[in-house]
Amino acid sequence: MPQSEHLDATFAALSDPTRRAIIARLALGDANVSELAEPFAMSQPAISKHLKVLERAGLISRSREAQARPCHLEAKRLREATEWMERYRRFWDASFDRLDALLIEMKQKDKEKDRGK
Amino acid sequence: MENKSEQVTVGPSGKPELRLSRVFDAPKRLVFEAWMKPEYVQRWFSPAPLTVPSCELDARVGGAFRVVMRAPDGTEFPMDGKFTEIVPESRIAWDAQIHDGLAVQTTVDFTEHEGKTTLDVHQIYAFENEATKGAHRGWTLTLNQLGEHLRSRT
Repeated sequence: MPQSEHLDATFAALSDPTRRAIIARLALGDANVSELAEPFAMSQPAISKHLKVLERAGLISRSREAQARPCHLEAKRLREATEWMERYRRFWDASFDRLDALLIEMKQKDKEKDRGK
Repeated sequence: MENKSEQVTVGPSGKPELRLSRVFDAPKRLVFEAWMKPEYVQRWFSPAPLTVPSCELDARVGGAFRVVMRAPDGTEFPMDGKFTEIVPESRIAWDAQIHDGLAVQTTVDFTEHEGKTTLDVHQIYAFENEATKGAHRGWTLTLNQLGEHLRSRT
């Protein structure tokens, strides 16, 4: 899967509040479906549906061995998304440093023009 | 110059959004001029060491806003945009396609206070293979913070 599709899947998966809460919970440690369903007024099948979306997006993995199939957060994919966005923030930070320098020059010219009047 | 705030979030449609603000020690008249004149844009609209060999800027709604950025190794990163809103000294908005197959909507608001100008940038990114459809409740997630949290455990 190309990176843009990864990211697309990641952001789409994170667009749901329940799924974000699941991610936040798994950031604290692995958990199985019933443990994850507990804080929500939701049935286990409903939670399972969300887990499938997260799993497809590569944000979580589930053990095939243990019967409880605990969910594990795949931090790599989430990090990929935050790093991707970080690039665009850096674009503005660095460009604005240059704009800052240009404005100093423009202000100077402006003053000179005023004096010339 | 100071950083007021910066935040990366995912918007209600599941699209990544970027919001950041910066204060410049200049009146908005000059800051707006620095945005609207191609010869000025060429001097700042890229992070060093990239340069802007060409900028086409037709400052009206529907007008072109095309910027080519060039890396020291010669790789070019074009941004091909069209203005969607221009309110003199107050707001600029444009829609653009950028190099890695992304559509980006950008809005920049200008506000002046005691001779200093704050720029508020808001961008919404959409991948061209965008599969996210349907309405969601409005919400915001600060992915950066979550990312930080996770970095500490991996």
